[in-house]
Amino acid sequence: MTQLARSRSYAVYAVAAFGAGCLLTAMLKCNAELAHSANALFASWAAHGIGLVAAIVLLLVLRQRPWRATAVKARIPLWAYLGGLSGAVTVIATATAANSVLGLAGTLALGLAGQVIFSLAADLWGLMGLKRRALTRYDLSALALIVAGSLTIILFAGRGA
Amino acid sequence: MSTSAILLALLGGLCVGLSRQLNGRLSVGTSPMVSSFWNHLVGFLALSTGGALIGAILFGGTVEALIPAGAFSAPGYAYVGGAMGVIFVAAGSWLIVRIGAVATAVFTIAGQMISGVLVDLVHSAGQIGWPSLVGAALILAGVALSQLRPRG
Repeated sequence: MTQLARSRSYAVYAVAAFGAGCLLTAMLKCNAELAHSANALFASWAAHGIGLVAAIVLLLVLRQRPWRATAVKARIPLWAYLGGLSGAVTVIATATAANSVLGLAGTLALGLAGQVIFSLAADLWGLMGLKRRALTRYDLSALALIVAGSLTIILFAGRGA
Repeated sequence: MSTSAILLALLGGLCVGLSRQLNGRLSVGTSPMVSSFWNHLVGFLALSTGGALIGAILFGGTVEALIPAGAFSAPGYAYVGGAMGVIFVAAGSWLIVRIGAVATAVFTIAGQMISGVLVDLVHSAGQIGWPSLVGAALILAGVALSQLRPRG
């Protein structure tokens, strides 16, 4: 693959991730609406339940089974199935923190920090069996700019506050 | 008291990253959609258990604890968020094995913040403050800079 083709596919991934972030804004708006009518725990519980049904429908449409051949399955460690547990902890931790003196803005800012710290460690050491990745000065500068911009919006523009 | 709140907020962020890392690992042996299915099944069971426990402690185990009175007064579209989550989690798994944890996290955050500013821009009919504009400019500069990264 040429250099150009490589960076073009990198741009496609970047746009896809950016799009996922836009989807997250819409999703959080829906969940906030549910949390406002009921509470944060119910909102997340209902979202997971509806998501589960949606996932089953999508698997049926795509003709994918939740498990593969035994030989492949044997190589997947059991803890790899615990992503949803970590997600549930996120919901309870952030809902509790947002109701404290930190408020939503403080919770978002610290959550952003936690996410960035974890992702740096994940790429540095190749956590959970994913590839180790060397970060260039470009990656770290981009990270710094995006984090600075996000904190400016969260803390000074009152987004989510 | 506020120290524990700070730790909880940090933990929330760490768990977002951990969740994406775990789902990404699961998708390597299966597929991003299969990984998203397990994420929602396990998350639903965990929150059901957590909800039932909290309900038993605080409300003496009434249904009210899990399904609060106001639940059905939410607008219908509010329930679509769960389906969006399936795509969001699958996208995260697909991306993390291809561009890594840092790139997946920062581009997702960039999309979230920029779309948030755009929503505010529309809602306020163009009346948004300088922090939103400065923040958005910094984020877009970061995304642009990341694209100059030499590949090899």
